[in-house]
Amino acid sequence: MTKKWCISILIVAGLGAALRLPKLDLRPMHGDEAVHAYKFGQLLEQNYYRYDSHEFHGPTLNYFTLISAWFAGVKTYAGLTEFHLRIIPVFFGVLVVLMPLLLAGALGKRAVVIAAGLTAISPAFVFYSRYYIQEMLLVCFTFGAILSGYRYIQRKNLVWALLTGLFLGLMHATKETCIIAYGSMLAAFALTRLTAGGCSVKDVKLSHLAAALGAAVAVSALFYSSFLTNPAGVVDSLRTYSTYFNRAGHNALHNHPWYYYLKLLLYNKAVTGAPWTEALIVILAAVGFVAAGIRNRIAGFDQRLVIFLAFYTLVMTLCYSLIPYKTPWCLLGFFHGMILLAGIGAVVIMRIAPKMLVRVIIGIFLFVVGIDLLLQAFLANYVSYADHNNPYVYAHPTRDVFLIAQQVEEAADAHREHYRMPIQVICPNGDYWPLPWYLRRFNNVGYWNDVSDNIAPSPVVIAAPQVEQRIIARLYEGAAPGQKNLYVPLFDRTIYLRPEIELRGYVTKDLLDQMQRLSASGDKR
Amino acid sequence: MLNRIFRYSVGLGLAFGLVGILFVVSCKKAPQQAPPATPKKSDAPKAETAAPAAKPAPAAPKADANAPAASAEEKHPDGWELIPLTLPKPMFVGTPQSFQGVTNLEKPLGKPRATFYAPKGTVNLAAGKAVKSSDEEPIIGEIEMITDGDKEAADGSYVELGPLLQHITIDLGSPCEIYAIILWHYHKQARVYFDTIVQVADDPDFINNVRTVFNNDDDNSSGLGTGSEMNYVETSEGKLIDAKGVRARYVRCYSRGNSSNDLNNYIEVEVFGKAVQ
Repeated sequence: MTKKWCISILIVAGLGAALRLPKLDLRPMHGDEAVHAYKFGQLLEQNYYRYDSHEFHGPTLNYFTLISAWFAGVKTYAGLTEFHLRIIPVFFGVLVVLMPLLLAGALGKRAVVIAAGLTAISPAFVFYSRYYIQEMLLVCFTFGAILSGYRYIQRKNLVWALLTGLFLGLMHATKETCIIAYGSMLAAFALTRLTAGGCSVKDVKLSHLAAALGAAVAVSALFYSSFLTNPAGVVDSLRTYSTYFNRAGHNALHNHPWYYYLKLLLYNKAVTGAPWTEALIVILAAVGFVAAGIRNRIAGFDQRLVIFLAFYTLVMTLCYSLIPYKTPWCLLGFFHGMILLAGIGAVVIMRIAPKMLVRVIIGIFLFVVGIDLLLQAFLANYVSYADHNNPYVYAHPTRDVFLIAQQVEEAADAHREHYRMPIQVICPNGDYWPLPWYLRRFNNVGYWNDVSDNIAPSPVVIAAPQVEQRIIARLYEGAAPGQKNLYVPLFDRTIYLRPEIELRGYVTKDLLDQMQRLSASGDKR
Repeated sequence: MLNRIFRYSVGLGLAFGLVGILFVVSCKKAPQQAPPATPKKSDAPKAETAAPAAKPAPAAPKADANAPAASAEEKHPDGWELIPLTLPKPMFVGTPQSFQGVTNLEKPLGKPRATFYAPKGTVNLAAGKAVKSSDEEPIIGEIEMITDGDKEAADGSYVELGPLLQHITIDLGSPCEIYAIILWHYHKQARVYFDTIVQVADDPDFINNVRTVFNNDDDNSSGLGTGSEMNYVETSEGKLIDAKGVRARYVRCYSRGNSSNDLNNYIEVEVFGKAVQ
């Protein structure tokens, strides 16, 4: 291992970690993150996990988070912080940065260092490495499967076959969309065989294939059965596909046009400031894609691997683009393929440049655009992390959730029952996430879709505006004369859970007075 | 090389074709319907994950959280609203200095006080109502000024009663459900009025069914009971008192001098509620 190579590894690892690790609690928890946190809380406290074939995806995120909780000594849901949760996708995100380096022998050191560097600074990859969802784990396991499969083809070794199976099983245990990756890999393998020859299915030993499949099934079954405590989970992991096929085409809520992902990557005009774009990666990927097809042999590259990556990326991009149901984080799978091709493309460009001067100019240009990507990554994660101008911010809570949490905490400090203080959260259609995460320390919070006449009003109520009439009626008509508390607004200004989704807070005047006295005296319990 | 390009192009075409076939085969014929509006980013992120079951409130029996309240519109035909308050001009700005000798003093809010929620139709029941005073000959002003709607601190807007413990009583005319009382003593300068006690009763002599809704007499020097409320500095916002929806016809306000002198002042008293049917 040369000194230059070590320095390269350190730089990309350092960049990747430096962009992903700091201030994991800065961005408000997305509703999806908060739901996953809640599910993980059940696993942590009650050792309970049951795969739900309708929602919440696979179990690996939950089980890997146990490691983080164990290291931190956290045993309760209330004791968790954003760090304990988000460190898991950060870890896998940094792994994804480093993994291309394992292909140095097949793609050349320059190409893999560029690919690793682009992964480190890609705003999309940095943003979703700090997101407590399954996406980064899926990308990591998918690439692990490709890496292991490639190694197996080179060496026909049982260990690599088992590792391939392991990663394939982990993919399945992570998210149902793994079948898109499976299909893309198979299609790419077939198309590579067609266009460039090489290893065929006949070359794979049956025993190795069986071992790989066995490993995949075993790993997947282990997770879906909640480590053998729920065998039905394995069946559910297959039954789920009817839900997801239906959702892919018939859920209008997240339907977007075919060019949605490409638009996200290529150009997003911000209301203020410079546009968001990762066009450099897409353009370099296109260069790598074309180079794979037209060049007889690219020196230093395993041509078949390059063609495989090209077809894999293309098929996956097509699949995701054609599926009507789209959310921004789903682009990571095919975008990772693009980044690998971009590394190749950058090297090809430098090689075909006729003169040294041209190479220098291209190099400077690539460097400058790389700096822009780095700046975008910083802005997306540390400045505009909850700003709807950020293309990766999708149906995201505003920073007002912090204010909600703070006000409720102050109310609890002032209330005699503190964290047992009753709180009601009333939002139609259960549209109150991520509030359960921010109110996790409170033992007496009720979440409702509508006002109930059977429940006495709480000293603190948080609700959607459309139920305000019924809430206030309940607040006053529910109690006897002489026992009706006067309610005042909890917040000094209009509060939004998400852009245009307003929430209102109601607190008894007595409690607000006590809060204000405590605040003025600086006296907190 | 041409062979390579040809084979690559065939591969590309097959890739497109394969994906296309998969989508054609898997697409079901959906009924004709209008295309959905382009969703805004504010739409609920329900599709990826849905909320797990809500935790019930343990202290009370849980109704079906998914069912809307039965006949909600029939039970609550009246609307409810934030009660807007017309406040007088502030006569001093900034945080008043500490008051020597005044203990148990509430620190200033530093921002406007929130208004309150009440049933639609809640009105100031005291407006224009008859007022009586323990001091039948006020030093300044007329007793009727206390319910005349003028909340300014200018000369000619306030009543000045004699020293020691004094009170004023407002007759609402009929039994009423009272949600809030707002009290302005005097706010031309920063003052604290002592032993501020507000009571309600069913009779004008305050014998029957007397209830105390506010009391900051922490040493029971006025003999009406020890209060738990704090002393406060008078401001143009007045003192908002939670009357807990008590039912009464008469409202009485006591005070025993202030931080500047021994006299007692009133600019206005507002009583928000609804007449009992």
